[in-house]
Amino acid sequence: MIGVGKIKQYTNVLDKPLSKGKQEVSLSAFAFLFSEIVQYNQTQVDNITELERRLEDAGYAVGARVLELLCHREKGNRRETRLLGILSFVHSTVWKVLFGKVADSLEKGTEHEDEYMISEKELLVNRFISIPKDMGTFNCGAFVAGIVRGVLDGAGFPAVVTAHFVPAEGQQRPRTTILIKFAEEVLRREARLG
Amino acid sequence: MIVCVAVVGHQNNPVYIQSFTEADDALKLHHIVHCSLDVVDERVNNPKKSGPTLNETFLGLLYPTENYKVYGYLTNTKVKFILVTTDLDVRDADVRNFFRRFHSAYVDAVSNPFHVPGKKITSRTFAERVSNIVKSFGLSSAG
Repeated sequence: MIGVGKIKQYTNVLDKPLSKGKQEVSLSAFAFLFSEIVQYNQTQVDNITELERRLEDAGYAVGARVLELLCHREKGNRRETRLLGILSFVHSTVWKVLFGKVADSLEKGTEHEDEYMISEKELLVNRFISIPKDMGTFNCGAFVAGIVRGVLDGAGFPAVVTAHFVPAEGQQRPRTTILIKFAEEVLRREARLG
Repeated sequence: MIVCVAVVGHQNNPVYIQSFTEADDALKLHHIVHCSLDVVDERVNNPKKSGPTLNETFLGLLYPTENYKVYGYLTNTKVKFILVTTDLDVRDADVRNFFRRFHSAYVDAVSNPFHVPGKKITSRTFAERVSNIVKSFGLSSAG
């Protein structure tokens, strides 16, 4: 409630404790940095798949560190051993720390047992990016797919993660879906745990 | 008195080992740390369902040897911290506090973009922070 505690009055402004600062990063700074990363990688490779792979590797390194950082910051953290546990961890906690909000939705794939999808109306990293027509199905969300793969790999759930555009009715820009396909051993372990 | 701290990666590869006494043989300490890995694996794979909740990070006293006590701590990424100490009357809260600060230093060392995950930690800042934590542990538990 506002105004409940008694605020200590400092006579001298120099005695006031330093503020911790806002835990935010400027979006424009990130957008510039990310666009430079994409451009730098574009000059180094010849085709689109290679570019996607590079972005994903960059994201993988970020994901591994994000997992370590988050599990240290969370009070009373438990190590996730269940599939749904780690997926909801990625979907809410990781997304909240990285993008400031939870992901839009988490769905289980209907065709295959081992597929899950996290979808987002517009990925933050893609906000200022438009893909030229001749690049086809390339999606800069490969960076975010790499982050998710890094988190899952570090937690012991090896998976193949890719980013896709899914056209949605009633919207000009297609939604982005991160498709997570878990490895065989993860499903076998999950079945064994019951 | 803390004798040795070690960080072991998720494939049981050593990431950081540091001993804090000159007297003891470094090899013997490495051996003790190595043996304690088996105990960690045992605890992780056969959790005591009736005991403390599953998937806690702090594993507690792993096993007492001749004149050492070995404590373990497991992070989310299966990285293990091992602490070997000669103190007889260490409080549980002190050890937990130690591991919390050690975890903090470890996360900072790993966040370094030039650090290759799985390789040994070569950062001098990390080594300094660890020796500071070890020194303050000795003081707080003595007082």
